[in-house]
Amino acid sequence: MRFALADLSIQIGHIRFNNPVFVASGTFGYGTENKELVDVSKLGAIVTKSITLNPREGNPPPRLVETPSGMINSIGLANIGVDKYISDMLPVYEGIGTPIIMNIAGSSMDEYISVLEKIESVSSAIVGYEINISCPNVKEGGMQFGIDCSMTESLTSALRKRTEKLLIMKLSPNVTDISSIATSAENGGADAVSAINTVVGMSIDHKTAKSNIYTTFGGLSGPAIKPIGLACVHKVFHSITIPIIGIGGIVNTGDVVEYILAGAKAVQVGTANFRDPGICVKILNNLDLYINKHNITLNNLIGSVKQYD
Amino acid sequence: MIIENAMIVSNVEIAIGIWQMTLLAPEVSSHYKGPGQFINILSADSWEHPVRRPMSIANVNGENINIIYKIFGNVTQQLSQKVPGDSLNILGPLGNVFTGWKTKRTVLLGGGVGLAPILNLYESCPNSTLIIGARTADEHFMEHEPGKNIFLTTDDGSLGVAGNVLTVLENLDFNDQIIIYACGPKPMLKAIQHFAAKNSVKAQLSVESYMGCGLGLCQGCVIERQNEQMKKHSYHEKYTLVCMDGPVYWSNEVCFG
Ligand SMILES: Cc1cc2nc3c(=O)[nH]c(=O)nc-3n(C[C@H](O)[C@H](O)[C@H](O)COP(=O)(O)OP(=O)(O)OC[C@H]3O[C@@H](n4cnc5c(N)ncnc54)[C@H](O)[C@@H]3O)c2cc1C
Ligand SMILES: Cc1cc2nc3c(=O)[nH]c(=O)nc-3n(C[C@H](O)[C@H](O)[C@H](O)COP(=O)(O)O)c2cc1C
Repeated sequence: MRFALADLSIQIGHIRFNNPVFVASGTFGYGTENKELVDVSKLGAIVTKSITLNPREGNPPPRLVETPSGMINSIGLANIGVDKYISDMLPVYEGIGTPIIMNIAGSSMDEYISVLEKIESVSSAIVGYEINISCPNVKEGGMQFGIDCSMTESLTSALRKRTEKLLIMKLSPNVTDISSIATSAENGGADAVSAINTVVGMSIDHKTAKSNIYTTFGGLSGPAIKPIGLACVHKVFHSITIPIIGIGGIVNTGDVVEYILAGAKAVQVGTANFRDPGICVKILNNLDLYINKHNITLNNLIGSVKQYD
Repeated sequence: MIIENAMIVSNVEIAIGIWQMTLLAPEVSSHYKGPGQFINILSADSWEHPVRRPMSIANVNGENINIIYKIFGNVTQQLSQKVPGDSLNILGPLGNVFTGWKTKRTVLLGGGVGLAPILNLYESCPNSTLIIGARTADEHFMEHEPGKNIFLTTDDGSLGVAGNVLTVLENLDFNDQIIIYACGPKPMLKAIQHFAAKNSVKAQLSVESYMGCGLGLCQGCVIERQNEQMKKHSYHEKYTLVCMDGPVYWSNEVCFG
């Protein structure tokens, strides 16, 4: 039996995406490195790695270590800086056929604003911004915004005033109450929130008694954090009305469905790209089958998880 | 580069804890550029070990790729349990190649698991002097044949020259026309870097670093540059991405900290 292609398209703010499966910031480069291995035009969107005002070299190595069903990274926001991003990357995005969401990180309100204004001042294919207020790996990685409601709200509204593009605030799980931060983002005028960024973690080599990561603490990602991501999305779902983009440990279609059931309208796949850059396309093909088989729509599924009885 | 489900043709223990695996990999082998390159393997479908493991290519023969691996932890342990006919998901070929070996006299040094790329290069330049180091005789699978310019070393003196690869290198008669090629643990590469600088000889080192993807996506596998010169693939000046710019560097290009 053959099915027609399911409608996987979703709307966030004023943007219509062909499907809800995006690649997560920092796990797909600037978006074009993977052309050999994957048809990027199939992706719902590409979220590019965090860009800061000035170029950053990132943290000293070792920056990575595998942990059970996950990995810890402390890249330290290594990036080319916004000026080079404008001159080298923006032209590449023209005609790429996939919506590009630019991720911005900063250490002060002014830095976020300057980066955004620089992009706003040129024409580009970028459809929106994801604002990283949740990087655990650098002191100036925006975490001071992501853990504070009033700072989240004032940053969001400052950026909102300066752009009509999609504005997504990326939330940290490393907070006491993620719902109140999400509410602040909504009050500040965000179109959506994405959750979660990595979970603070540590890895020690008992044989050498040394930390496996130069910066001691890093960000845990991969399947190990999926339960944390699901819980965060579900908590946030009950406190805001704007869409949620679910992130954390997604490796297959079942994971995507679980995030949608928890309350996500779209998802981002991160660490899994490192193992297989084509994984999102596989997930999408199976999502299509799933939707057809169960004769449902994505919209009806959002947040519809039932209580155990 | 390509992701391929390769078929295991053979998998044998060639010394204590050291295994050689032959993979039938028509796609990856057809893109192979030369000694120095590596593949990134996935030992199981499960997500218990989400990160691929880099392994140097020890030889390419038609559609077959050989790797030589040492059992370290879980993934290499799982690898050793695979049998002919099993499949192995590999990504590759990745990384750059050793250069300059066609024109100069060459001295090749391999230590620990670093012998795979060195043996690969040795096949291309069999007139080289080959020095392979291990801790004990058990870990060697070649013959110590100084007459043929093949030197084995052991830390405990149980086979070949007592000491390490540097012990042999420092006692070789050479002129500054040679090029050294080396792969092995960091202390060994550091010592060779020092030797090369002191004796004004050129050396290419194949370095290791913890890799998240092998594709330049995660920016995890960096090591520090010495000259801060820009390379094509990485946008950064202080660090270089081992997976894309490396794993082979001139000894004066990188710092081992
Ligand atoms: C370019 C390159 C070529 C290599 N070639 C060979 C080879 O030819 N033969 C061989 O035996 N080994 C080689 N290695 C090392 C090999 O990747 C590790 O031995 C292997 O990953 C160990 O996995 P494990 O699960 O058995 O051990 P684990 O318990 O995971 O780790 C043991 C050690 O292996 C290293 N390691 C683990 N995961 C990675 C990773 N993703 N990237 C880099 N290092 C890692 C770390 O140093 C770690 O401390 C190479 C590494 C690199 C970077
Ligand atoms: C190596 C690495 C680099 C990352 N870099 C960034 C980044 O620059 N900006 C950002 O907002 N998130 C970054 N993240 C976080 C991911 O976008 C994602 O939120 C997180 O990894 C959880 O998803 P996952 O479990 O699917 O990987 C990074 C994650 C990893 C593993």
